[in-house]
Amino acid sequence: MSAQGQVGRAVPVGELVFAAGIAGLGVFALARAGSIVEPVTAGVLGPRVLPYIVGTALVILGLATLIRVLRGHFGEAEKGEDIDPHAHTHWPTVVILVALLALHAALIVPLGWPVAAAVLFVGAAWTFGAKPRHRAVLIGVPLALVLQAAFAGGLGLSLPPGPLLEGVPIFSG
Amino acid sequence: MDNFLTLLDGFATAAQPIYLLYALVGVFVGTAVGVLPGIGPAMTVALLMPLTYSIEPTAALIVFAGIYYGGMYGGSTTSILLNTPGEAASVITTLEGNAMARAGRGTAALATAAIGSFVAGTLATMALTFLAPTAAELAVKLGPVDYVALMVLAFLTVGALLGSSITRGLSSLALGLFLGLVGVDAISGQQRYTLGVPALTDGIDVVLVAVAVFAVGEALYVGSLLRRGPIQVIPVTKGWRTWMTRSDWRRSVFPWLRGTAIGFPIGTIPAGGADVATFLSYAGERRLAKGEARRQFGHGAIEGVAGPEAANNAAAAGVLVPLLTLGIPTSATAAVMLAAFQRYNIAPGPLLFENESALVWALIASLYIGNLMLLVLNLPLVGIWVKILQIPRHYMYAGILTFAAMGAFAVNFRQDDVLILLAIGLLGFFMRRYGYPVAPLVIGLILGPIFEAQLRRALSISQGDWATLVQSPFAVTVYSVLVVIFALSLVLRRRARKLEKVLVHEQKEQMVPTTVGEDR
Amino acid sequence: MTVVAGYVPNPLGEAVLDAAIEQARFRGTNVVVVNTTRADRLVDPRYAQGEPLELMKRRLDESGVQYAVRHFTSTDTAAEDLLQVAQEVTADLVVIGVRHRTPVGKLLLGSTAQSVLLQAQCPVLAVKHG
Repeated sequence: MSAQGQVGRAVPVGELVFAAGIAGLGVFALARAGSIVEPVTAGVLGPRVLPYIVGTALVILGLATLIRVLRGHFGEAEKGEDIDPHAHTHWPTVVILVALLALHAALIVPLGWPVAAAVLFVGAAWTFGAKPRHRAVLIGVPLALVLQAAFAGGLGLSLPPGPLLEGVPIFSG
Repeated sequence: MDNFLTLLDGFATAAQPIYLLYALVGVFVGTAVGVLPGIGPAMTVALLMPLTYSIEPTAALIVFAGIYYGGMYGGSTTSILLNTPGEAASVITTLEGNAMARAGRGTAALATAAIGSFVAGTLATMALTFLAPTAAELAVKLGPVDYVALMVLAFLTVGALLGSSITRGLSSLALGLFLGLVGVDAISGQQRYTLGVPALTDGIDVVLVAVAVFAVGEALYVGSLLRRGPIQVIPVTKGWRTWMTRSDWRRSVFPWLRGTAIGFPIGTIPAGGADVATFLSYAGERRLAKGEARRQFGHGAIEGVAGPEAANNAAAAGVLVPLLTLGIPTSATAAVMLAAFQRYNIAPGPLLFENESALVWALIASLYIGNLMLLVLNLPLVGIWVKILQIPRHYMYAGILTFAAMGAFAVNFRQDDVLILLAIGLLGFFMRRYGYPVAPLVIGLILGPIFEAQLRRALSISQGDWATLVQSPFAVTVYSVLVVIFALSLVLRRRARKLEKVLVHEQKEQMVPTTVGEDR
Repeated sequence: MTVVAGYVPNPLGEAVLDAAIEQARFRGTNVVVVNTTRADRLVDPRYAQGEPLELMKRRLDESGVQYAVRHFTSTDTAAEDLLQVAQEVTADLVVIGVRHRTPVGKLLLGSTAQSVLLQAQCPVLAVKHG
């Protein structure tokens, strides 16, 4: 359709890699589809049929996008109100946010959900540029406790309260 | 008549104080997220999915429907006062609405948007009330072959028509279908693409994916390309007198009605959602305008706000028709709402009106009530809605990430799910960056397993004869409609884009560009 | 030798501006008006744009004192910006607005006034509104 090619833009390596990745996922889907066990009782449409269809579609669509990008039809990055379309992608932010989410996942069980959530919130707020720094802590810690009290204490979700809050009734589901 | 009585029952339920409170919470949150940039109704419903663990289905669905309707109202406020559309469906409103605000007629623009949304929302909900049961009765007679056809229709239109590039939209859909394959196949009991990872045996949860692509993907994307520099707000003149003059009323009424008539049918078919309806309404009003009004287009014609705002609310009600009667979502928010139904083991579809009659009618009744609440909330509280735009972005996106992590963990109370959230969130980030719409992915994921089940049923009835798929008259009709929709919407999209270009050029103003595709 | 004024487009900011003009006349110096935003939100009412900005400049024009306006987007807090400008121009007076805040409000929102009062290298004139 009308993904517009922009003059003078460098070769979009990332876009090519992503499109190739889609085709690659299709190849993977096709390769593994053969090893899905088809029970004799599977009937007319076994568990392999849809994987074959989807795998083929991924390969074709990935390659089609790849070809279009090579011909200069670049993707239009999604726009939004908080986004500066002319800014360069700031990769450190992405890496730090990803690391924070991974850290959050690792902290939930040993330290409890409120601690993990406070770490995630404060870290993310700092990464997004919160200032002064202490204010993010003053908001993040109570927020984590309120969420724990509301969703675990109030609504009964089993969010682990962690060793610090263990046994405090309003924080456990 | 029978439906009328059940609707009254629905009102009796929905008017209970507790449900009124839920509806109020829903429309309030919905308006707020509609106003706030970066958060849309689809993301909000996905983030609030943990509610489904503890509150009963009627209450949860009333909240979610309120968020959906509220989001449509809230988008107009930022479009008019800040020239930044809060939702894709409000992009068109910026054209005339912001021009009106700059000419000192912001209150009239806000009023015609709010009243038009109310009129359209109410009329479209009425249409839903009368159409849905009939549609459900017809839908009961549909066989698996017909469902396969309907889902092919939904897949192709959603995949190909959302976003700016057909191959990217369909790639997104295929990615969703692939994610839907992961896990144990329901019929044969065989593992597919689980790679021996225990966390993947049960499949990848829809809620996890929705939260990942809508919330985490968005937060990462915004973080990587943060806007610098605030936008000036146009102050709103206070007082009732400046709201709408008699001539404003006269000039708004027909655009409201025409907008409703355009929006509702477009909402019911999966042809691209509410934004298409607003473009059509705007183009129509522009053509119909005469004399003074014609000259005002581009400089703040009230018709250009009234029509599109009515159209997007009518489309929102229209989307509920295929969702409730067929179980087929045609927008991102509808897909996430379908996931909410599934959490309660309720399958939307033709039998919904029989099996869950009380729930459905309470939900529909709450739509009427919610619309009224929105009208009351929106007009006098504009000041509050503008205030929430002062929430610093760092806290907002940090909060979104925290909620997303909680929603992911709450799916199974497993840390692994947070890591899956992270992985799919990164996928969503790259998709945004390279112009792939994310809504088809969610729709593919949620409809994929249903599609496979129906296809299996169809083929086992025909004993493996694939020709059965084109042997039902209904299915053949659907495929023909598909061809027509494709041809038509390609033309419409091209025209909408051309119109947009012309308008932007005409305005010679720095306009925040459109969010291509669907409500987030 | 300069009077530095921390300006926000509201009545308190106007009072600050008046006091700064008066002080500049009294001392026979010029005024540097500072108004910045961190641009971390879509709408920042403390950042003067359009009409309020023009009004402020007109007022300074009419006052007859020499002035400069530092109006920019920064990644630092308002207090840091103000202090930095004061140091740059070797201010001999900084004028700020103060208003009543509850202890909790101060904890959450911080206090620009307090930071300036404690960290400024020169005398600070704190103005109240009304």
